[in-house]
Amino acid sequence: MTPTASRQPPATFASAMRIFDLSLGQMLWSRRSVFLAVLLGGPVLLAIALRVVATLYTSGFQINGAQAAGASIFGMMIWLLYIRFIVPILGVFYGTALIADEVDDKTITYLFTRPIPRRAVLLGKYLAYLACTVLLVLPSVMLVFFLVVPTGGSTIAEAFPSLLTDFGMLAAGLASYGAVFALVGTRLKRPLIVGLVFAFGWEPAVLLFPGYLKRLTVAYYLQALVTHEMPQDSAVSMLLQVFREVPSVGVSLVALALIVGLALWGAGRAVERREYILEQ
Amino acid sequence: MTTRTRYFVIVSLLVLGVGLGTGLVAYYVGVQGMPFARHAGPEELQYVPKDATVVAFANVQEIMHSDLRQKLHRALPMQENGQAELQNLTGINLENDVFRIVACVYANSAANASGEGMVLARGNFDETKIEALMRDHGAQPEEYNGRRILVSDANSAQGQRHFALSFVEPGLAALGTADVVKKAIDLHQGGAGTAAGSVTANDELMGLVRSLETGNNAWAVGRFDALTSRAHLPENIAGQIPAITWFSVATHVNGGVRGTLRAETRDDDAANNLRDVVRGFLALGKLQAGSRPDIQAMMSSLQLGGSGKTVTLSFDVPSQVFDAIPHLAR
Repeated sequence: MTPTASRQPPATFASAMRIFDLSLGQMLWSRRSVFLAVLLGGPVLLAIALRVVATLYTSGFQINGAQAAGASIFGMMIWLLYIRFIVPILGVFYGTALIADEVDDKTITYLFTRPIPRRAVLLGKYLAYLACTVLLVLPSVMLVFFLVVPTGGSTIAEAFPSLLTDFGMLAAGLASYGAVFALVGTRLKRPLIVGLVFAFGWEPAVLLFPGYLKRLTVAYYLQALVTHEMPQDSAVSMLLQVFREVPSVGVSLVALALIVGLALWGAGRAVERREYILEQ
Repeated sequence: MTTRTRYFVIVSLLVLGVGLGTGLVAYYVGVQGMPFARHAGPEELQYVPKDATVVAFANVQEIMHSDLRQKLHRALPMQENGQAELQNLTGINLENDVFRIVACVYANSAANASGEGMVLARGNFDETKIEALMRDHGAQPEEYNGRRILVSDANSAQGQRHFALSFVEPGLAALGTADVVKKAIDLHQGGAGTAAGSVTANDELMGLVRSLETGNNAWAVGRFDALTSRAHLPENIAGQIPAITWFSVATHVNGGVRGTLRAETRDDDAANNLRDVVRGFLALGKLQAGSRPDIQAMMSSLQLGGSGKTVTLSFDVPSQVFDAIPHLAR
C-alpha cells in the first residue's frame, strides 16, 4: 500500500457502517430505550390481557357486544397502536435526534473531525436507527400476533400471510418516517416540536379532507400498504374511511422509496453544509 | 459492536426467526397436521360426502332452550305448527329428541336439475316408531350396504325424486335425497379408509369450519360462486354480484343473536369493492337508525373487518330488538 493510498478517505458506505456499529449500541442502551421499551411493551401486555380474557370467558373478547375474531383485533392493534402511534413517534424521537443528540452532547466535533464524509455520519446513524427500531418493533408485533390471533376463531395459518405484509409495511414506515424526521432534525430548529406537529397534527388532519394535500404525507402512502380493515372506532375514523383514497401498492412503494431517498439526500446535504456551533 | 448489543441482536433475530418459522409451518401444514391440533367441526361431518356446496351446523338444544327462542315462542305461538307436523310425520320431537344437526347441500351440475342435500340429526330416536310412521306415509324399506333405508318418492318440477331416511348409527338419522344418504352410508361402512371421500378431506372448507367453531351454536359454510351459478339470475343482476368464492355465517343464539358474516373474494380488489359497498350500507343504516336506541345498539355492533381477500361483518342483535316482536305481531 502506498502512503498516498493510505491517506485516501474511506468510501461513504464503509464509513457509514463504522458509524452504524458505534451508534447501534448507543441507541439501544440510552435513556430513550426505556421509552422504547414502554412503547413496545404496551401492546404485548395488552395482547396478554386479551388472551387471558379470551381464555377465561368462552364468549371471547367482544367489540360493541359482538365477538371479535383474533385476526380482526390484531388488525385493529396494527392500525391504532403501530401505524397511527408507534411508528410515527419512533420516527419523530429517533429521527430528529440522529444529529441533534451529538450536538447536545457536544460530541459532534469528534465525528466531524474524523476523515470520513459528514453524510456518512448521518447515513450510519440512520441505519442504526432503522436496525434498532426494526429489531424491536417486529418482535413486538410477532408476540402480539401469536398472542391475539389464535382467539375468537381465527387461525395462525390463515392470518400468517398478512403478518408478512405487516412486517414489510412497518419496516417501510419506520424507514420513511425516520428519513423525513432526520431531514427535519438537520434542517430546522426545535425539530421535536415540528416533528410531533407533522406526525400528529398535519398528517391526521389532511387525511380527513378530500384533495391533493394528503399526498404530502407519509401516512397516505403507508396506509395503502395495510391489508387490515381500518377500524371504525370513532367519528374521525368514519370520516377517514369516507375520504380515503388508496393509491396502488406499486405507487405507494415508489413514493415511499422517493421519500426516503430525497429526505436522506436533503439531510446529508444539510449536514455537509451546516456549521454546528456548540454552546460552551 | 459490544457483546451486550450483539446478544440483543441475536435474541431479536431469534424471536423473529422462531415466529416466522412457526408461522410458515402453520401456513403450509394448515395447523391440523400439528400434534396439538384437534379435529375440526362436529363428528357427523365424516358422513358428509366431499364436494358439498354448503355445510351447516346447529346445536338444536342450545337454540331451543335459548332465551331468544323462549321469547319468540311466547310472541309467535303459531310457529310451533311446523314442529307438530314433523312430530306427526316422523315421530321426532325437535325440542327434546334432537341434540344437533349437520346439513349439506350439493349444487347439481346438470342443467335444470335441482340440488341434492341431506340432514344428519343426532339425538334420541325411536327407530321402530319412526319407521312405522313413515311407512304409513308411503315410504318403502330397502337394504343398502347392510343398512336399512326408508325411501319415499316425491314429484317435483324436475320429475320424480327419491327421499330417504336411514339410521347411519344408533342415535344418528340421515334424512335427504336418496343418493346422498346412500353415500353417507358408504362413508360410514367404509370407516377411516373412506375419509378421503368425506368433506373432512376438503381442506378449504374445513379451514373455514375450524374458524367458526369457537363460541357459536349455529354456522354455515359454502361456495357462493357455485350457488349463484345455479341460481339462473338475469345477466344484469349476476354482473352486479361481487366475486365471492366462499362465504360463512356463524351465530351464537341466546338472549339475542350475535355472529359474523364472512366472505372470501376472488382477489384483493374484489374484497376492497365489497368492503366499500358494505361500508356504504352501514353508513346508511346508521343514519336510518335515528332515535331508536335498540336499533342504534345493533347498528353500532356492526363491525366491518378482514384483510386481503377476506371481508367480515360481525353483528349483535340485542334482545331488546326482539322485545318489539309481540307489538309488531298484534
